Amino acid sequence: MSFIEVTGLRKIYRLGQEKVYALKNINLKIERGEICCILGTSGSGKSTLLNMLAGLEKPTRGDIIINGVNIAKLSERKLARFRQENTGFVFQSYNLIPQLSSLENVGMPLMFKGWSRRKRDREAKKMLAAVGLKSRMKHRPNQMSGGQQQRVGIARAFVAKPNVVFADEPTGNLDTKTTADVMELMVKMCREHNLTLILVTHDLDIAKYADRIVHLIDGDIHSDELNKAVYDPFTEKDGDKSRQPAS
Amino acid sequence: MKLFDMIIMCLRNLWRRKGRTLLTVIGVIIGCCAIIVMISLGQGMNAAMDNMLASWGDLNAITIYGNSRYIWVGDGNSNSEDKPKLDEEALEMMKNLDHVETVFPKIEVDSNYVTVTAGKNGRYKANWIEIYGVDFSALKKMGYVPEQGDYPSGDDTLHTLVFGNEAAYQFRDSKKRGQNSYTYKQMLPDGTWSEPFFDPMTESVQIYINNTKKPNDDGTYQSGGRAYEFKMTTAAVLEQDNDWQTVYSLMIDMDFAREIINSYNRLNNVKDATEPEFSQIKLWVDDINNVDAVETILSDLGYNTSSMASQRKSMQGQLGVVQMVLGCLAAISLLVAAIGITNTMIMSIYERTREIGIMKVLGCFISNIRVVFLMEAGMIGLLGGAIGTVISFIISAVMNTLGNDTFANMFGIYTDGSSPISIIPIWLVLLALAFSTVIGLISGFYPANRAVKISALEAIRNE
Ligand SMILES: Nc1ncnc2c1ncn2[C@@H]1O[C@H](COP(=O)(O)OP(=O)(O)OP(=O)(O)O)[C@@H](O)[C@H]1O
Ligand SMILES: [Mg+2]
Repeated sequence: MSFIEVTGLRKIYRLGQEKVYALKNINLKIERGEICCILGTSGSGKSTLLNMLAGLEKPTRGDIIINGVNIAKLSERKLARFRQENTGFVFQSYNLIPQLSSLENVGMPLMFKGWSRRKRDREAKKMLAAVGLKSRMKHRPNQMSGGQQQRVGIARAFVAKPNVVFADEPTGNLDTKTTADVMELMVKMCREHNLTLILVTHDLDIAKYADRIVHLIDGDIHSDELNKAVYDPFTEKDGDKSRQPAS
Repeated sequence: MKLFDMIIMCLRNLWRRKGRTLLTVIGVIIGCCAIIVMISLGQGMNAAMDNMLASWGDLNAITIYGNSRYIWVGDGNSNSEDKPKLDEEALEMMKNLDHVETVFPKIEVDSNYVTVTAGKNGRYKANWIEIYGVDFSALKKMGYVPEQGDYPSGDDTLHTLVFGNEAAYQFRDSKKRGQNSYTYKQMLPDGTWSEPFFDPMTESVQIYINNTKKPNDDGTYQSGGRAYEFKMTTAAVLEQDNDWQTVYSLMIDMDFAREIINSYNRLNNVKDATEPEFSQIKLWVDDINNVDAVETILSDLGYNTSSMASQRKSMQGQLGVVQMVLGCLAAISLLVAAIGITNTMIMSIYERTREIGIMKVLGCFISNIRVVFLMEAGMIGLLGGAIGTVISFIISAVMNTLGNDTFANMFGIYTDGSSPISIIPIWLVLLALAFSTVIGLISGFYPANRAVKISALEAIRNE
């Protein structure tokens, strides 16, 4: 059984009389450790699919089984517990809490898990060091650049050691140079811990980091293929199939 | 989420909007002050009332009136025939009632029955003085204190007299005419009290039974003859006290009182005379809170009862109405404060929609979010309650020192001038704190429910 199995997934939004088929019939299997890119034009249903994989929205029809659990059928509380234990999130607009320092922002998922302040600060510090923001621990989000904020966001997504990380256009607000930095960081972290990453983008440049590219058009999978030429930033050359980053 | 983290989060959120939090808290402070001060005024009124009643008589006492024709207590048209007798048997029954500690029966000798004289040849005369037959041995226990002399003691007290404080002033000087033949107790210019015509402790006193068949022209009566005359010894004059019955009257031995009544009936050929009953029995109950129960038992048996406690109850009822009105006014201001809390919390939800969404996406339990919101609302209530309590103490102190009259008149509050007009007991403090916290929680209930219903997706959608 694959790590993520999606069968017959459909999502219909009702706008008065009108029905919007955001997702028509999605069948998808994603393996553990895979970096999967969901590619598509605006309005093709990428975000809808991601949100449903993350259990933020209930499908109209179909099953989503992650790690053997059908998350479409979980209660609100069990879903929260599932997110605590399995998922991390990276958002396009970072979504850090403005009043909290980066350290506190990174520690938040651990706080919801019921960790003590001391334990989560220790973990958050490690994470911030790993994303290269050791010197920005006491800073608030508005005291940092977009790239720095997104790195805090990445630290937050990975701090609780999730099984899968969801990222919806994580570089949508960043310039090209920073985009590369951020993508490399995410890929590196996933590879290090053999995590599954589901990446939503409309940018082919970003898709090149993925092992696999799922192309969505109008709520249906148009193509689903392995990336023949995974761009591995750590060997600094295209086409290297080796997934072990050089340390 | 740990409770500690929720508290920190709650405090941080309140602190984040200091100004708004403060204004909301001020609303609660005002409501809380209003309630505490109003209730404290009620407490002050109750205390003043108790003081006043205590000065009128003993709060632990119940008086049972007999079927004397001079006492009209109760419904007025009740026939004395169907009233239970106030005899030895009744006395015994009352003595054995639960909570009854002491009984003090009295026999009233009709003021028509006897004439009391004092001095040589009966110069000083009291024609209509009240005489009560009592149990001398219980005088001390009843709280009667001799001003002169001592409690009657010894084997033979049958012909012993105790003067009420102003009883001697009831005697007329038969050698004087008109106004001059009367006297009364009054304060003289030099600050001392006026004296009666004679000193009851040294002058000899006699009682004779009236022959009412042949009244004198002025309505007084002649003695029934030598067999109906008694020479008395005075044991004591009592201090001024609050028993209005005994201040102007004489006390004699219970048995002697019966003898007088029987002799009178014999002398004047009263038909179908019965054995004299007690005219009054006074009961002392162990605790003021049991007075009501004992009184109810007795009045259910048909006795005419009266007590300060029952008066207190009816007065409390009246005060209760005043207090209710004050309390309602105060409650309105707290209601306004509660609406303020709800409003503040709803506003803060709008501001924090995104934050709540992020929390949900990151795996925060809905119950935790609800608790944080309820805590914030409850904290506003508690804070307002605590500050309000402190301010109430200040207001209360100011009112109590600034003088009773001003405030009392302003609010139409009953006060006796001696007790504080505002009293804040500890239970009121605890009640106020608990109440304002609960008000806060209730006000936060709806906003908290809205907060948890915020869709995570909606909240984190890219703007
Ligand atoms: N809450 C909603 N109510 C109604 N229709 C919706 C809702 N959310 C999405 N849709 C519709 O579903 C379709 C897919 O939306 P989705 O957000 O998944 O697109 P997307 O691929 O993420 O686009 P973008 O690249 O612009 O983010 C769109 O046509 C959109 O209008
Ligand atoms: Mg999208």
